[in-house]
Amino acid sequence: MMAAWVKGGATDADAAIEAAAHLFASAKVPVVTGLCADVGALRAAYGLAGVIGASLDPVAAPSLYAELGVLSRTGAMGTTPAEAVGRADLVVVVGNAPWDRPFLQDIAAAKPRRGRAAGSERTILSLGGPSNGQIRHVAYPVEPGGLAVSIAQLRAFAKGHLAGETAYADLARRLVAAHYGVVVYEPGEVGELGVEMLQGLVKDLNDVTRFFALPLADPFQGRALIQVAAWTTGQAPSTGFGRHVPEHDPWRFDGARQVREGEADAALWLSSLPSPRPDWLASLPSVAIVGEGSANATGDTAEIVIAVGVPGESTGGTLWNERRGTLTHSSAAGQPAALTAGAVLDAIRARITAKDSAAC
Amino acid sequence: MLTLIKGGRVIDPTASRDAVGDVWIEDGRVVAPSDRTPDNTIDAAGCVVMAGGVEVHSHIAGGNVVLSRLLLPDLYASESAPEGHPFAHAGGSAAWIGANYARMGYTTAVEPAMPPSNALATQLELADIPLLDRGALAVMGNDDQLLELLRQREGANAVRDLVALTVATSRGLGVKCINAGGASAFKDGALKLSLDDEIPVYGLSTRKIMGALLDAVEEIGVPHPLHVHCNNLGIPGADDSFVATLEAAEGRRIHFAHAQFYAYGLSEPGNPAGGFRSAAERIAQAMEKHPNATYDVGQVAFGQTVTISLDILRQFGGRKGANPKKWILNAGDAEGGGVVPFLYKPRGPVSSLQWAIGLEMMLLSNDPERTILTTDHPNGGPFTEYPRIIHWLMDKEARDREIASLHKVIGERSGLGSIEREYTLSEIAQLTRSGPAKLLGLTDRGHLREGARADVAVYRDDRDRTAMFARAKLVLKDGEAIVEDGEVVNWRSGRTLELSVESDKAMEKRTDAYLEDRFGTGLDSFAVPDEAFAGHDVFEDVACRA
Ligand SMILES: [Zn+2]
Repeated sequence: MMAAWVKGGATDADAAIEAAAHLFASAKVPVVTGLCADVGALRAAYGLAGVIGASLDPVAAPSLYAELGVLSRTGAMGTTPAEAVGRADLVVVVGNAPWDRPFLQDIAAAKPRRGRAAGSERTILSLGGPSNGQIRHVAYPVEPGGLAVSIAQLRAFAKGHLAGETAYADLARRLVAAHYGVVVYEPGEVGELGVEMLQGLVKDLNDVTRFFALPLADPFQGRALIQVAAWTTGQAPSTGFGRHVPEHDPWRFDGARQVREGEADAALWLSSLPSPRPDWLASLPSVAIVGEGSANATGDTAEIVIAVGVPGESTGGTLWNERRGTLTHSSAAGQPAALTAGAVLDAIRARITAKDSAAC
Repeated sequence: MLTLIKGGRVIDPTASRDAVGDVWIEDGRVVAPSDRTPDNTIDAAGCVVMAGGVEVHSHIAGGNVVLSRLLLPDLYASESAPEGHPFAHAGGSAAWIGANYARMGYTTAVEPAMPPSNALATQLELADIPLLDRGALAVMGNDDQLLELLRQREGANAVRDLVALTVATSRGLGVKCINAGGASAFKDGALKLSLDDEIPVYGLSTRKIMGALLDAVEEIGVPHPLHVHCNNLGIPGADDSFVATLEAAEGRRIHFAHAQFYAYGLSEPGNPAGGFRSAAERIAQAMEKHPNATYDVGQVAFGQTVTISLDILRQFGGRKGANPKKWILNAGDAEGGGVVPFLYKPRGPVSSLQWAIGLEMMLLSNDPERTILTTDHPNGGPFTEYPRIIHWLMDKEARDREIASLHKVIGERSGLGSIEREYTLSEIAQLTRSGPAKLLGLTDRGHLREGARADVAVYRDDRDRTAMFARAKLVLKDGEAIVEDGEVVNWRSGRTLELSVESDKAMEKRTDAYLEDRFGTGLDSFAVPDEAFAGHDVFEDVACRA
């Protein structure tokens, strides 16, 4: 039996679902936030948001939008984790964040095995990374202006717009000489301007060789959300349904802003996988759908709290698989949990739809 | 429930039927005329009754379609729509796709480019397209596992087993190859590839890879022939690639994707810089000589669109023509994909000629069942252009009016202007119903004979064929009304058609080990399990050929 709470008091899931339906049926400007969950739950969250006219505010937004803005302005040129591991003779790691990811261990431990670089050595370069020495690499320092400025400088050298015997001139020569180069970064750390510069650099390099970007995924299922958002609404995730047509606007539908400015009057926090709880959640009537056994599965997380199975662990679920760079399905380990986030969201929606038709 | 569609002009070219008459339906199937009193009578007087339309090649799901929406968020307008489905009004969404096909009387649509490495995401997206039956073709021809197997000369049985396993794992309806070897060659620095050029590292050629896939598809008994996207798409002289590929099939069944993009003969012999002229006649003659072949046309429509293709070699080549100036290219686990916006300029010489060539090809066809209507959505334009295209095929006067408004190059470099032919309704049904259904091997649709699935479109007969085919008066899917007067009235879900194919246990084991080694995770992570579809009964089996 799953745990649920209404106003701090323990209850059953059914009562909590009924209370949640009651809250959202009368909400004028509800916000659905977090969205750190499996595809089934994300689909159901869109279904509910469409019915109650909610806006969507994913926890992954800062990382996603560092890329999405650039994508819609200039495009991108990328490759997959497995192609990078299998083919790259040159890997450029930008910033600090990638160094903590398992992917870096994977790619450093292997040599190119497919394609024209097969059998050659793999060189790892760092631009503005830590010098922790665990992975052999050649380090290039960041310019005083920061990562984006450094990348712009590097791009100018690679294009021949800047010349001279500097460290970046040397780095640029290495990039051009690669057979299958890959630049690894975390979009949230590099920032929108930095991503734009990196993508420009990669596209320039392809005039002379093959070079690809490999942005590392956010840890909050943001990549899964992008897929569901795009095929469900034709748009990126930060959309609002207040006018019954999905409107995409990451500024307007930033949940923290909506709460701060007093626009939002109810919130749903969907986090069946771990993600940071919004610090504003307690400031308005809210429902939390959280993973069973997580620190947030308690009565004081929100006005209404429903604990559900954790996808890929206590329940089956389709999730973004970072290693594969796509969606994959995992079954529950052992007997599946009784309740999934998707089923809870569908049940809330069904109650609201039933209430609507009863009112006619 | 017994339903009678009464007194319409019933068009079914597979039964040589074109006369006013009745269609009887019971339990989701077309049945023999009954002497029982129908429970429901639909008055079709003044209407044309056809089987539901069948789409063989439209990019409606998958990672590249997702990227196209993110690259061009404003390509399709979102507008308010009647209640009933929360997302049908969201331009370009899965629900929008289903609704707009259904309104035109289409009831089945196939996504032709599902990368096996991204099968689950593609299948989840397809399953969210309401109203239609759907299907997807698994793309092969650039993956290291296949190319390595060919390089090692492991033989036809090994290829057959790998193809069968790939189709079974991805739950595809058939197999496609896209510029076979081209994506691999691109990753290794090549920028051009023709049928017999050597593919770096593997020492193979498109001819060898495609030949192996053609054999495998026959061996397995896949009802849909190998779906082939040739080398050199869109390049002046691409007609040579088309004809060479046709001959390379050596009599084996083969389907050519978006043939219009290959019907570009050199305008000046020996000089690709001199531009192109229509090769529609050459292609038509080649098709007559090769009854084993079919194509879909890939008609161009004017306006802004986005090209979506797994042919990354070609998309990279086309990046500088992006309009607006932005593009995405991904070197994927096998093909990947390229997404390049494109504007077909209404009065521009190149676009005008492309538009003319597509129509000319269909009008020169002596067998419309083998020359299927598509726009390669959205590559030549959106599928919502079908009604206008049908209008031009059926109405010489409307066609001449359009030609007069376009660039004069049409008269100089194509034969369109001198063609008198007007398509009949039966021929339109061949182009959009019986042809595509036969091509996919779906014997239960594309016709109205007894036993057919009751997917039926009823149109008001109207000289304005654009208006007639844009908004069907009534559409039945499996016998249930889904569209009335051009609006969706019942948001039911169709099924995803998957080929029922056994995979070889030894190949499973071998592939699992290969994938584990390459991806750090095995065959399981490529699976499309029922469990991923939230308990919905999504898939329906299609049998292999005996
Ligand atoms: Zn296509």
